[in-house]
Amino acid sequence: MLRHLVKEKKESNPRTPEDISVKKALWQDVLARFLKNKSGIVGFSIVVIMILLIIFAPVITRFDYDAQSFPDRLLYPSALHPFGTDNFGRDLFTRMLYGGRISFMIAFIATLISAAIGTVFGSVAGYFGGVIDMIISRFLDILMAIPSLLLAIAISAALGSGPINTALALSIGGIAISARIIRATVMAIKTNEYIEAAKATGSRNLRIIRKHILPNTFAPLLVNATMSIGGSIMGIAGLSFIGLGVKPPTPEWGSILNVGREFIRDFWPMTVFPALFIMLTIFGFNLFGDALRDALDPRLKD
Amino acid sequence: MNLLEIKGLTIQYAMRANTIHAVNNVDLTIAPGQTLGLVGETGAGKTTTARGILRLIQTPPGKIVSGEVFFEGRDLLKMSGAEMRAIRGKSISMIFQNPMSALNPILTIGEQIAEVIHLHEKCSKKEAAERSRNMLKMVGIRPERAGEYPHQFSGGMKQRVVIAIALACSPKLLIADEPTTALDVTIQAQVLDMMRALKNKLNTSMLLITHDLGVVAETCDAVAIMYAGEIVEYGSLERVFHNPKHPYTLGLFGSIPSLDKVVERLSPIRGLMPEPSALPKGCKFKERCDYSCDDCEKEEQVLREIELNHTVRCMRAEGGGF
Repeated sequence: MLRHLVKEKKESNPRTPEDISVKKALWQDVLARFLKNKSGIVGFSIVVIMILLIIFAPVITRFDYDAQSFPDRLLYPSALHPFGTDNFGRDLFTRMLYGGRISFMIAFIATLISAAIGTVFGSVAGYFGGVIDMIISRFLDILMAIPSLLLAIAISAALGSGPINTALALSIGGIAISARIIRATVMAIKTNEYIEAAKATGSRNLRIIRKHILPNTFAPLLVNATMSIGGSIMGIAGLSFIGLGVKPPTPEWGSILNVGREFIRDFWPMTVFPALFIMLTIFGFNLFGDALRDALDPRLKD
Repeated sequence: MNLLEIKGLTIQYAMRANTIHAVNNVDLTIAPGQTLGLVGETGAGKTTTARGILRLIQTPPGKIVSGEVFFEGRDLLKMSGAEMRAIRGKSISMIFQNPMSALNPILTIGEQIAEVIHLHEKCSKKEAAERSRNMLKMVGIRPERAGEYPHQFSGGMKQRVVIAIALACSPKLLIADEPTTALDVTIQAQVLDMMRALKNKLNTSMLLITHDLGVVAETCDAVAIMYAGEIVEYGSLERVFHNPKHPYTLGLFGSIPSLDKVVERLSPIRGLMPEPSALPKGCKFKERCDYSCDDCEKEEQVLREIELNHTVRCMRAEGGGF
């Protein structure tokens, strides 16, 4: 994500080689600070390992996620089935990997939607203030008053299950949070003299928001997005657990957990492994997000 | 024709409980190429006047209540937003007080100069970048540094960049709001010299806001002394400096250390400026004035012309004696 941003900047503005080196140095600074943070590296490693596992799932495991085999059902972990098999004799490890694909994809989409819409609302509210801010903020208050999982349940119950609908359901709750973060950041940045200076040079409001304010909100937005991916994965699992998110036979961590619940007394792998994956992933994203915040904060610059 | 003509400009900030009378009925004129110094203590309304000219008053709470600001014969206060934006940064530009915060930390200085040029002149990005390099050269910064960020520059260098931005489109009027207050004395002199040289080169008029009478003496052609939102003394530099008439102006001069007189202590002006939300009737300076009498608060004081190009807002100035 970072790399992509830098590249885009380069393409839009042709620069001399030394310009690019300065921009690079800026990110190298962030990287150096990030690398000093041990828990951040742990979190980042967890996230990267998870992503590699789910991307290379077909290479890592030779089973199909929906290949049933009645004699092999509910097997305990072995060399052949590292996590055992489920109640239909499907390889649990394979289902975990493919299940992660769905979770990550939905979580990324949901976070992207909520960050995009939240940025629009937040920056307009924060920049213009007054009545506009009042209306948007009250609307966000209403959104925040509803517990996010409850809201997601209601929306996906209304829209029906499926990956896109689940992403939508989860993103709406996130809009309020990202909008508030952006609004607060914009309000803080707006008071800077360079914003007034930009006005004094004849810039339009939209240009000021786009060029002078939004780039400054990038750091908190990125940190929030990282954290909220973890939250979204939790949300997807929660929705699937109660049967609203992703429907079987498509594997999903929450729905595997839900099926495993029936066998919790006799067969532990079907509950332990999905729970472990959900927990580890969220833990990883949170550690990563925390470290990002520290690395991106210029006040902690040494 | 005068380049800028301010008539009866009145700006107020409406707070919840009271109204702050920041600028009251101010008249100023600036001729092409002329430099006007606007002097006064903190809170006198200097910055508000400057912002009023560019219509950069935060509304609410601020509001331009009345007045006219003619720039090249057109009233800025009656212009549409788009017309006003076309003037800001192009015909009138402003230098802010604190160079440390007047530059966007995440854009290179080259980008920030180029932005103004790109906004106002129809030219390609490449040409704007080229011109921004030339501007840097003009203010004495190596053009190779265009790709660097504000934090890589010292305060004086940043103020040079700010000046480069302000002058990038060769404005007709430059409003400099205490451009050297945040800088140390040696850098102050450098920056002022540079501003003066560039101003003469580009034939720019300037409104210089400061509370340093020394800076005014070096830089300005005319001077207006502001107190509690009013102009109390206004005239050409020589008249005001050689023949100050208003007690407040006299007080300002009295609080400057002199090189040729031996004095034990400086004589400051006693007291404080009145609350701008509760201005007294009559003369606003009466409470602190050594020459005040009962008549001072009876009537609103008006600017009286005591000699050519020299007006004073004091009823006792006309007779010439205190």
